[in-house]
Formats: sequence, C-alpha cells, structure tokens
Amino acid sequence: MGKEESPHVNRRTTRSSSSTTPNSKTVGEVSKIISNTQSLTVNDLVISDESISLEELINSFPHRRVQILELIKLLGPLNSPMIPLFVYGGASTGKTSTVLEIFKHLKRPFIYSSCITCYNPRILFESILNQLLLHRKNERNGYSSAKRCEKPSDFVNLLHDALSTFIDRLEGDLWKSNSKKSPSQVTGKMIYLIIDNLEHVREWDKSLNILPFLFNLYDILKMPEMGLIFISKTSLDTYHSDTGYAESLPVYFPDYTEDDLRKIFMKDQSNPKLYSSFLDVVLRPFYHTTRRVDDVTNAISPLYKKYCEPLDDTGITPDEDTKRKLFKHINPYISQFLKETFQVPSQPTLKASASKDKTRKKGITKPGFWESLDELDFHMSTCAKYLLISAFLASRNPATLDASLFDSTGGSGNRKRKRKSSEKSMEKKESKEQELLMKGPGTFPLERLLAIFQCISSVAEYSPGDEVPQIDGLGANGWDSGLMSDVLLQLSSLCSANFITKGGSCPLEGAIRYRSAVSEDMALKVARSLKFPLPKYLYSR
Amino acid sequence: MARESPAEQAQVLVKSRICNPNFIFSIFSNPPDSNYSKLKYIISSSLTEACNNSVLLLGPRGCGKVAILELVLEDLLEEYPDMISVIKLNGLLHCDHNCALKEISRQLCQEHQLLFSKMASFDDNAQFMVSMLRECGLAHKTIIFVLDEFDLFAQGKQLFLYSLLDAMQSVTSQAVVIGISCRLDADQLLEKRVRSRFSHRKLLFLPPSREDTERLLEHILLLPTNSSFPHEYVTAFNVKLLKIFADYKFKEIVDTLSYSDSTVNHLQRFLFSTVSHMDLKSGLLSLENFKAALSTIQRQPKLEVLKDCSILELYILVCMKRLEAKEQELRNFNAIMKEYKSIHDTFQTSNYYARNVCLRAFEHLLQRELISFEDNRGHGQSAEFRPVKLLISRPELYQGLKSYPSCPAILHKLMDRDG
Repeated sequence: MGKEESPHVNRRTTRSSSSTTPNSKTVGEVSKIISNTQSLTVNDLVISDESISLEELINSFPHRRVQILELIKLLGPLNSPMIPLFVYGGASTGKTSTVLEIFKHLKRPFIYSSCITCYNPRILFESILNQLLLHRKNERNGYSSAKRCEKPSDFVNLLHDALSTFIDRLEGDLWKSNSKKSPSQVTGKMIYLIIDNLEHVREWDKSLNILPFLFNLYDILKMPEMGLIFISKTSLDTYHSDTGYAESLPVYFPDYTEDDLRKIFMKDQSNPKLYSSFLDVVLRPFYHTTRRVDDVTNAISPLYKKYCEPLDDTGITPDEDTKRKLFKHINPYISQFLKETFQVPSQPTLKASASKDKTRKKGITKPGFWESLDELDFHMSTCAKYLLISAFLASRNPATLDASLFDSTGGSGNRKRKRKSSEKSMEKKESKEQELLMKGPGTFPLERLLAIFQCISSVAEYSPGDEVPQIDGLGANGWDSGLMSDVLLQLSSLCSANFITKGGSCPLEGAIRYRSAVSEDMALKVARSLKFPLPKYLYSR
Repeated sequence: MARESPAEQAQVLVKSRICNPNFIFSIFSNPPDSNYSKLKYIISSSLTEACNNSVLLLGPRGCGKVAILELVLEDLLEEYPDMISVIKLNGLLHCDHNCALKEISRQLCQEHQLLFSKMASFDDNAQFMVSMLRECGLAHKTIIFVLDEFDLFAQGKQLFLYSLLDAMQSVTSQAVVIGISCRLDADQLLEKRVRSRFSHRKLLFLPPSREDTERLLEHILLLPTNSSFPHEYVTAFNVKLLKIFADYKFKEIVDTLSYSDSTVNHLQRFLFSTVSHMDLKSGLLSLENFKAALSTIQRQPKLEVLKDCSILELYILVCMKRLEAKEQELRNFNAIMKEYKSIHDTFQTSNYYARNVCLRAFEHLLQRELISFEDNRGHGQSAEFRPVKLLISRPELYQGLKSYPSCPAILHKLMDRDG
C-alpha cells in the first residue's frame, strides 16, 4: 500500500488561485528585479570581505586574548568535530562580535540567528532553514520562507535534509575549486550554527519544550559536520529544567576591569596625553557605578567636550598646571554628570545653564546642568489632568482620610486641632507613613476615584485664579453636565497609556481596583499646570 | 592545501572519537553480564521467537543508554539483515499523538520506499501503522520502536502509548518497544491500562566505576599503533600518556572530576577541553592540559558574576543582606535606598550616588540574576516597589567580597557586623 506524494506547496492551492494569472504590470516589475538579485551561493555564508590575521584579531579586541585563543582551540583545526559550546558573560562584553570576528578570521561557513529577532520558535526555525537553504526573501517569492516549519519534529527532519545537501554542496565546491586551482573562499567541510541571546528563550511560551530541545539538538541530529555555539548573558545554571538536558562546554567572558576600560577608551584617540589625563580624573567614579562599556561610553563623551572647554587648542600636551586647571574646572560637573548618566534628555532642555542647584521640597535637588522642564512636554486635556491628579491622590492617601480632606467646600481648610501626641507615637506614625510610602501606590476602586474627581474639579471652578476658560464656553453648569461620559472615556485612555494600571481585585468584592502609576514629580507638574495646590492634599507632609 | 601535521591529525582523530558516543561505549560491550549483552539477548530472543516485547532503559543522563542501544542495533542489523526495521521517536519532538503517528508513518515509508504524503490525516496514519504492523508480522519482520525521553510520552493522557501497545496486541505483529528515560520511576508514570500492556523489564544504566573510567580514558586517548601516523610519534604519545595516567596527581584530578558528576558525558567534556588545549608544536598531551581542562569544567558561576559587579552593585547586595538579617518584611528598592542612606550617614562613605544611578545598578543586578522579583504577577507596579529576593547565599556573598579586587573595606565591616 503506497501513498501518493502531494506536490510540494507551502499553502494549499485552490483551483481558482492556481488558474488566475498575475497582473501584467507586476510581472514586468518583477522580472526587472529578478535580473538584479542573484541567487545566494555558499560563499555568502562566510564573511569574505577581507581576511584578517590572528594578530589583527587579537588587537581589535584588546582584552579578549585569552577568550579568543580558547575559542579557536575549542573550534580546533579544520574539519574537527565539536561538542556544543556555551559562551556566556555580562552585557556588552563582546561575546557576539568576538565570535563573529573569529569566524571571519577562520573563514568557515556559519549560520547566525538571534533569539531577539526570532521571537518565537517558528521564526527561529525558518530563519535557520532559510540561511541553510541559501534562500533570500524577496519580492519574487512574496517574502516567504523556503519551508514552513512550526514544530520541532518538522524542524529536525528539514534541518537534517538541508544540512546534508549543504555539505554535499560544500564538498562539490571544494572539489571544483581544487581542480580549477582557484582559491575558494570557504574552508572546511563543517558548518557552524550560532544561536545568540539564548536567555530570551526562557520567556517564550513553550520554553519548557524548546530549551531542552535546543540543548539536545546536537544529540538528536547526530551529524558530526555541524557545530553548535550558544551565546547567552547568563550562565548555564540559570536555565532550569526538571529532568536536565545535555550540557555544553562553557566559555566565560568576564567584564572589563578598570585598566581594560582605560585601554579601550585610549584606542584611536587623536590626543592621547590629554585624553589620558581626562581619564585619570573621570574614569574611577563612573567605574564604581557600572562596568558596562556602553554605559560608560555614553557618559564620557559629552564630559570630554566639557573638559576641553577652557583649552583654546585641543592638540596640546597638558603639563601639570594645565592639568590642575582642567581638573578644577571639570570637578563640579562630574557628580552632576553621574546623576544624569542614565537619563535621555528631551531636546528643548539641552541648554547649558549656570551650575546653580535649585532645591525643591524635601531635598529633591534638581540638577543644574540640564534643566528639567517644569512643565509637561506633552498635551493633556484638562479633564484628563484632573483625573490623573485624583488617581494619584487616591493611590497615595489611605481611604480613611478622604472625608477630612475633601469636605463639601472642597477645601482642606479646617483641620481639627490635634491633641499634642507624645514623641513616641509621633515617631511610630512617621515610620508607618514611611512604610506606606515605600510600599508603593495603593489600589482604589472606581467610585472613590470619581468621588475625588468630583470634589477636585468643583474646587477648580471656585478658585480665585481665572483659569476656567470662558472661551471654551464651559460655564459652571456646562462643566457638570458634560462630565460623566467624558470622564470614563478619559479614564480608559489614561489606562491604555499606562498612567493608571489595573491592580489586583479584592476577592470579596470582585470589582476591579486601579492603581496610579505616576511618579510624584509628574503629578506635581500636572498640578502646577492647572494651578492646583496638590501638596495640601498629600498625606504625610 | 597544506598537509596537516601529525599533531593536528591526531587531535582531529581523538576529537572525533570523543564526539562519537558509540565509540566511547564500545568498550562496555564485551563483558558477558553487561547491559549490552542483556539488551541484545532480549531483542534477539524476541526476533527469533517472533513475539512482542518491551523493555525500559533507565539511568541518569550521559550513561550511555542510547549509545549502547545503537551498538546493539548495529550488530543485530548485521546478523539478521532484512528482518528488522527501526523506528525512532523522541519525546521532546513527538509527544503529541498526531505528531508521533505522522513521524512513524514517515519513517515506515522511508524504510520501505513508499511515498509519504504530508497531507495525510490522522486516521490515515493510524490505519497505515496498524496495517504495516500486520503485514510485517505476517512476513516475520520485526519492527523496533525506540522511544527516547519516554517520560515525556507518559505525560497527559498517554494516548499514543496506549494506541501503540494496543495495536501491537490486537494484530499479529512482531514489535519490540524500547523506552529510554532519565527518570528512574518512568514505569510508575504509566496509566493502569498502559502498564498492563507493557512488560516490567527494566535495565539500569549507572555511571562507570573507577576502574571502568580508567579503561575508558585509555580507550579514548591512546593512539592506534597500526594507523597512518608516523610510528615514533605514536609511541612517544602513548608512552607519555601512560606516564601521566600513573601519576598520582592525575588520579587526584580524575577524583575531583567524578566527585561532582561521574557520568561519561562529564568525562567527555573534560577530555574534549583537554585535547583542545594540546600543544600543537610538540603534539603531546601533558598534565597541565588536564589541569586547565578541570578548571574550565568546574566553574562557580555565582562567584564569577560577583567578581563582575561594580562597587555600587556590591553595596546594594550588602544592603539587601542586612535587610534580610534585620528580618524586615518589605524588601524593595525603596527599602534598599533607605538602608543605603543610613549606611552613608553612619560611615560617611565616599560612594554615595543619586537615586537614578542606583536604580540603574539595581536593574543590572536583575539582569545578572543575582536578585529577582518575588512574584511574577506584579507587572503593574514599577520596579521600585516590587519586592525582591536575593539569589545568592550569605557565604557566597562573603566569599565574593573577599576575592573582589579593591573591595572597599567598609563592605567587609558591614558583612562582619551582621554576625
């Protein structure tokens, strides 16, 4: 009993779709493009722009000599089989670039997939198969992959076939190039599969199946011509599995030390002496906070410009006096720059101002170098602003205070005079307030939010400032009547913008509770734009 | 193409031996009461007596279950050609019922040169399998089903296992089902109706003993004398290697290696690393190669990560440890900041950084997996308010601080003070 082999199609073709002919216009364009694209050859799997020697490789990665040599030894001479390698290390330690440069030096064919761009198993499998089958997605094939592959079982079968055809092709090319006596770009009969950013696979849906599958891939395939290299930010022990999986050989990339960082920054500098005196001053405080190269680089480059400001000529070699002068100039800016290190400034605030520190309430110092905007730099409707403030208050204050804070006149005026409580109970109260602050914003039901909103917005109408815009035609009455429907719409848009998030629901009541996700700075900014006295309503002041 | 030196050729040869599990386990096939001979007896007896059979191979990972099975199957295919067809399934890939039947049909079609259709439905595949079983039984051909990762087939409703075993019993078939699993209780996972159709034969595979390990080392590393290598090189290589094996320091290395993990896979990785570090100029292995390989295999990842941390990150870790020691319930970023400020006030350290710098260091620690959030559900709150827990223990932190170059003395004092 035999089975018929159906025609190899990626999708089911119905009779109608196979009978329609494509548009004549598109045919013309497509044929033009076809003449431009060439089909991929085996040479494209090797980075064959230029060849680099071992010395160049080690020099381009100044402190990775040990790791480069170890990787080259583990990869071994040509055509030696390999058990899977697991390259791990912190962020921006040069794992991916080192591995790729090593393959450029060795001129061996490899396939690279990153688990960030291939964010689910199907895309990962198809990307690997596309590269192996030398298939490029272009307009001619409708940007589709060579084979459709969702399950690991299909992937193993297809990969096995693709690898065999590829290796035959490699051997054929080698034989041809040997007989023609022309240099071939590709060396060896093995192909290497590099899977990068493996730690992201743990967050996939099917990670319980996919991770052991990837680790066991070498054993399942049983093809010695394939080498497997995993690159990850975290070590092997952070990959948990109930029944274990085949372990791979670890290669560790440590973070750079202070001397390493210094040498890295000194590379290719136009004025080495000046830069090295700059680094003497600046590098250590930054190094104490973070050892990642990319963080420190981003912080240092604007600081260098500041450092060179008092110099007329940046090509000079500084002597001791100049060094001291520059040090005095740069010193106050270092701590400010440290605070600003991880902030992305918005464009209008990049004005260099005098280094005055403006102190705001309770010791929150606004750094003086980049003025932070006192106003919001995006637009919100008035109703939305009031909603935001009410949400912030509802999250911040405990519910029992509402009655005293928001009475019918809306003012927080008549606070009853409290009895003078003892020191101990004051301390206890204060520590309780601090605890509440540290725990984070609380949740509130919708009714409480609307009640506070009503109180606050009615206050605004009677406020002495002439902020209520009569131009819009919203009189005191008009404000009330158009309120309710608008509010719920605004609330849902605030929720989708993540200013208000849905917190847990109380199991007894079953209603949804909300939580404000706005920081105090932002709430103050919003309140200031409405001229609303927010600090009067806050609990622990 | 430049001819490779004999050292390189030797390296390639030994590496290919190491990467080939069949070669490694071939020395275990000789003794008469080993698993190899028992397995061979079971399968060949069911072949000759034309009956059904089933067996489970159990043992920790890396002890040679699949390798020895492959050796047995190779030998049997030589002895009884045309009487066996082998179907291989893997629990990682084919635990779904549909998937498994499709794969069985595909392999059967491949073996008997039939055309396989990917569009065949589930019913078609099931009928095909049953009829193939019947036909092969009538023709006195045995089908051997190898189910790797057997415990994954035994999850859920075990539909596939039941249908396979049921099919074997209902039609006149000659089939052997071999299950391979790393869970020693794999047979307890089976349902009642599946277990009644499965025989209770189990073969236990254990990591090799000391003597077996030594035999294995010699088997893998010694170069063959009758090969294409130059004779003096081979003798020099083997003599040096035997001298190393007799050295007591080498025995210590192998002992240390097998204290943590004595399976053959672990040994395989150790040998691979050793051979990679072989000095290609002399072409001989030395004791230093073995020592270097030991240090690459036995790593302490948490200590490495601690050495990679910056000083601010170490401060945060020490603050968290102190909060734990004070048994404070709420441990989130704000609490850590409070502790950090109190340390700064008490000791007047020079390393006092602003809040957003500390927040960034906190996020780095999360990435390095030294700290993690306590609950996965609280995505609504920002990172400052979610409670965190430490993923390293107190002695590890202490050791990490001690081995950290230029660690500020204040941190040592703080760790000591907790007592």
